[in-house]
Amino acid sequence: MAQPPPVNPAEAFEQPLYEITRKIYPRAVHGWFAGWRWTLVWFTQLVFYGSAWLEWNARQAVLFDLAQRKFYILGLVLWPQDFIYLAVLLIISALSLFLFTAVAGRLWCGYACPQTVYTEIYLWVERMIEGERSRRIQLDHGPVTARKLALKAAKHAIWGAIGLWTGFTFVGYFTPIRELWGEVMVLATGPWETFWILFYGFATYGNAGWMREQVCKYMCPYARFQSAMFDRDTLVITYDGARGEPRGPRSKKADPAGLGLGACVNCDICVQVCPTGIDIRDGLQYECIGCAACVDGCNQVMDTFGYARGLIRYSTENALERHLTPRQALARVFRPRVLIYAAILSVIVLAATASLALRVPLKVDVIRDRAALSREIEGGMIENTYRLQVMNTIEAPRRFELRVAGLPTLAIAGDALIEMPGATARMVPVRLRVQPGQAAAGSHKIEFQVLAVDAQGVSVRERSVFIVR
Amino acid sequence: MRKAIWILWPAFIVGGLAETLFFTLFDPMDLHLFGEPVGLSRVAVYSIGFFLFWAIAAASSAFTCFLQRAADEINRCPLPVAGRPPGCPKRDDPNAAC
Repeated sequence: MAQPPPVNPAEAFEQPLYEITRKIYPRAVHGWFAGWRWTLVWFTQLVFYGSAWLEWNARQAVLFDLAQRKFYILGLVLWPQDFIYLAVLLIISALSLFLFTAVAGRLWCGYACPQTVYTEIYLWVERMIEGERSRRIQLDHGPVTARKLALKAAKHAIWGAIGLWTGFTFVGYFTPIRELWGEVMVLATGPWETFWILFYGFATYGNAGWMREQVCKYMCPYARFQSAMFDRDTLVITYDGARGEPRGPRSKKADPAGLGLGACVNCDICVQVCPTGIDIRDGLQYECIGCAACVDGCNQVMDTFGYARGLIRYSTENALERHLTPRQALARVFRPRVLIYAAILSVIVLAATASLALRVPLKVDVIRDRAALSREIEGGMIENTYRLQVMNTIEAPRRFELRVAGLPTLAIAGDALIEMPGATARMVPVRLRVQPGQAAAGSHKIEFQVLAVDAQGVSVRERSVFIVR
Repeated sequence: MRKAIWILWPAFIVGGLAETLFFTLFDPMDLHLFGEPVGLSRVAVYSIGFFLFWAIAAASSAFTCFLQRAADEINRCPLPVAGRPPGCPKRDDPNAAC
């Protein structure tokens, strides 16, 4: 019977307490997928850093104005009452993630996740300053010299600046960014704004500069449950073991078949480029974020050896096992799981779009005055008082007419016209009166109607009660 | 360190969710503290609220972690001080539980 390998007691003791991590020095990689990742880096960051500065109707186009409790997204103004749209947006995002994951695995992680995107940017800075992988390893293991200190200081300064700019932009989505910029210029930001800029800036610096793949491995919940969306027809990054094994080094001129070797030259490039430091040749692992860096790396090696590309490639378990052609593998995209995800997603997107489009840009709440239920005024008339919370949810000013119905002679005492500036809410006090003898004692159902004078079809009805003592 | 992250990180996410839900439903301007209006700006209430939610969620996580310890983590270390492996955090403390 084989003896278990001797365990270093210190190691055995420490492992459950601390994760022993070794620093990963990802090697730079170029190729088709790296190109796509950089495209996505540019795209997501142009959107993130840029759209905060766009203007719309003489205000910030995308602003989640926390202080005013109003969210502006281009022409749309959302109020806390529209919370349902936020919930629907989250459901749509989750379902899209399920759909993409079922079809092609961790596309989100590999190309669009902020953790990937910022790590990519921070790694680029590191590479520009400290050099390629081997030089970075040398630098880190070498003695402390003036050059090392200068390089490290420069790197952290640039990382810090990117972090701060990211923090500033982030806060700029919640408080108007142009005013915030003016405040930053004279170092006069409010205490909480300062705090959140630094907090988010530091989080960016820490996550993209220091934690990197550990965020994906230990902190990300998606990494833990994404496998639930996988099946045997999901596109994942796979090593074609049948073609690659037995792996081994050889000269470029040698015939691998003659040496009894597969296509894998065991150059370890796939391990060196991996941002999470795994060996894809060991099979699918939860640490794999699907970035395809190993695909690019391996393809370059295959090219230099004159072998066919795709020893490591996007493929499915079924395609590998049953030797499916790409066309056959593609046909399997349309399987029940994918169709169901897609169907639910389309229904929700359609319903949400329709509901947003048909939304009446007016909200009314009727609040009865609790202090005085009912009182008799001059001439024996009965009066009830109410407060109407009226919200004009579009940005144009509106003029509303108030109507009431439900009791004979029920009328509004005072002005029945409500003028509202754009995107505002107001409490409107309303007194209703009934002529004597027109209503028995007790509570009577009545209905308020608020309708826009200057727009067709903008009208809201709200029920309340009129009390006669 | 690892335990601290285990406690703080999920609490951060849950705190953020609680914050979003709570302040969508309630306007900080409507909140009262011991019968008095809070008297802080909305951004200040949001920020303090977030840290409160985070702290409450972290307390719950910490309690879970605390109760999750196995018997040998609570009991006194059975090994004599000299026999404790290098790297043991309780190596120098004869009364330590490990």
